[in-house]
Amino acid sequence: MPELSYREAVRDALSQAMRKDDDVFIMGEDIAEMGGSMGVTQGMLDEFGPERVRNTPISEMALVGTAIGAAMQGMRPVAEVMYEDFLTLAAEQVVNQAAKHRYMSGGQLKVPLTIRTQGGAGWSPGAQHAQQLEAWFVHIPGLKVLFPSTATDVRGLLWSAIYDDNPVVFFEHRTLYGLKEEVPEELEPIPIGQARVHREGEDVTVIATGRLVHESLAAAEQAEEDGVSVEVVDPRTLQPLDEETIVDSVKKTNRAVVAHEAVTRMGFGAEVAAVIQHQAFDWLDAPVERVGAKFVPLPFAPVMEEFVVPHQAEVYEAIMRTVGRNGH
Amino acid sequence: MATDVSLPRLGQGMEAGTIVRWLKSEGDQVEKGEPLYELDTDKVTQEVEAEASGVLLKILAGEGEEIEVGKRIAVIGEQGEDVEAEAEAEVEVEVEEDEQEEGSPGAAREEERERGREAAADEEPAADGAQPSRVNGRIKASPLARRIARERNIDLSSLTGTGPEGRIVAEDVERAAATPAHATVGAAPLEAEVVPLTSIRRTIARRLTKAWEAPAFQISMSADMTRAQALRERLRDQKVTVTDVLTKLAAIALLRHREVNAHFADDELRIFPSAHVGLAVATERGLVVPVIKEAERKSLVQLAIERGQLVERARDAKLTQEDLEGGTFTISNLGMYGVEIFTAVLNPPQAAILAVGAIEEKPVVEDGEVVARPLMAMTLTCDHRAVDGAKASEFLRELKTLLEEPGLAL
Repeated sequence: MPELSYREAVRDALSQAMRKDDDVFIMGEDIAEMGGSMGVTQGMLDEFGPERVRNTPISEMALVGTAIGAAMQGMRPVAEVMYEDFLTLAAEQVVNQAAKHRYMSGGQLKVPLTIRTQGGAGWSPGAQHAQQLEAWFVHIPGLKVLFPSTATDVRGLLWSAIYDDNPVVFFEHRTLYGLKEEVPEELEPIPIGQARVHREGEDVTVIATGRLVHESLAAAEQAEEDGVSVEVVDPRTLQPLDEETIVDSVKKTNRAVVAHEAVTRMGFGAEVAAVIQHQAFDWLDAPVERVGAKFVPLPFAPVMEEFVVPHQAEVYEAIMRTVGRNGH
Repeated sequence: MATDVSLPRLGQGMEAGTIVRWLKSEGDQVEKGEPLYELDTDKVTQEVEAEASGVLLKILAGEGEEIEVGKRIAVIGEQGEDVEAEAEAEVEVEVEEDEQEEGSPGAAREEERERGREAAADEEPAADGAQPSRVNGRIKASPLARRIARERNIDLSSLTGTGPEGRIVAEDVERAAATPAHATVGAAPLEAEVVPLTSIRRTIARRLTKAWEAPAFQISMSADMTRAQALRERLRDQKVTVTDVLTKLAAIALLRHREVNAHFADDELRIFPSAHVGLAVATERGLVVPVIKEAERKSLVQLAIERGQLVERARDAKLTQEDLEGGTFTISNLGMYGVEIFTAVLNPPQAAILAVGAIEEKPVVEDGEVVARPLMAMTLTCDHRAVDGAKASEFLRELKTLLEEPGLAL
């Protein structure tokens, strides 16, 4: 099986779709000659030409709006928004237009649009270039929201996003681009709305997204040494949420930790915790623990950034709290 | 001007009562004469009317509390009158426990502050004003622990929690389930269901204990009920029962032997010119003894109607104090339960009580022949301070004669 980095996996999904299907094209800021600010689209201009690898002006609103128009005309555009922080600039197009057209037209229109974007801390990007804003978009009916954490998942899910007839906001994590994973020889589409159980365990379920999937897997190893068996579940699709897999897992382990890099407060994890308490109430042996960033704009100083966002240690401590033991 | 509502004395000997239910809430408009609350006194539950019109400003006695006669139980007055301060001073009012739902205020706080709170939570004092029985009323246990306990019938209050903040977690319940009671040394203590005494039960206990002080004796006779039953058969359509026949004939016998139709009152005997016959009636709430007044003057049909009404009121807990007062003699009949012979405990201050059993076919020797006769055993319990054995025997023989030959009652 070939080994691909997360970045290469994104590029592979885009390229395969564009080879297969003339309706698929990509557009974004500096994605052509420069290959994107994260290098995801490097080399694609040479293969597909400027008609299908389109640089846009520095206007997220114009770029997303144009992509919506193309999608409604039957194309399957993939728009890249350089940082998810900049989705705020395109929010009108995403929230009020893309999410609404199919519903408001009674199904006469559809918007098969994929908006790729990335974010995440860990490299001192400061307060305006590393936020995790997935919670904003899972709150909007009409949007699908994906957040893959591995090369296999990002490749299979990006494919499904491109071929979904609804607008998909596709979050990638900056610090995961270099992460390698063996991927299937043939690209295997991963259905939207299906969680992945990364690791089976008996005592605690950690439901983690993005970078925290990897922190949680490390924390699970650590807890295992202390005799606590941890199951790690990555929803991968935040909207629609695979509640069944999560609830089944918690019914088995009786304890749950939700973990993401976004701030804890009002975060995606709060929704997961609510689903768990409602559907697995009689199975819970401890309060659902939440792990996330402190409620503060992300600091630039590396030590401060390290302090604000969660890592393996925070997940480990939360795991231990659910079994009534102090982490360390 | 606020009017105090006090617990009334509704009958002789009533010392306390229990408010079963308030029919008005605080703040309601109340008209004088309107039912205000239901009161459970010695053997009676009845509605009590408001003594004044106005707004029910304050309820001072909670439902289910036993209150002494004369205690202030509510205040009626004009809207806006302040009765709080003086009211609270007089009678303790049940204070609703503060809602101390775990977590709900903390949920809005930041995670790390929440963690800090956990450590402090151990020292949280019990909510002020909580009733002692409620201090530990809320058991801290995880939902899973609760479910397992529910499924295996384990009493959570018997467990010690080992989870954070002393929470009972599933493991604690599992451990309890794995340790069967017989594995411990000796037998497990038997948990009795604790039932607080109702007002009526308390009255029964008090009066019968008092009865036990009397030097009592018993005498027994059996009566051939052939003719009494025949009489009853003829009046079956009027719903006349053996008890009615017995009541009527006992009343007549009592007037012929009035020493038995008496009260013993410490330093005197009270001998009555008419027989008020009490009938012991079993109800779900306990024993009550409604009284048929002047039984000797009533026809069997009248007696049957009156008995029917009293028994129905007794079963519905609707007897009035008047229904229960003034008895001079009591009949207790357990015949319908198949009891053959029993003795009854005196119903003070009455001098005597008659216990009757079932009518049963028994072999009887008549003129050297053994024949079957329907016999009913009667046992008379007497207070020896009021009645001597000879007098008691005369009365009982009179009653036996009347039962065997009802025509002699004319």
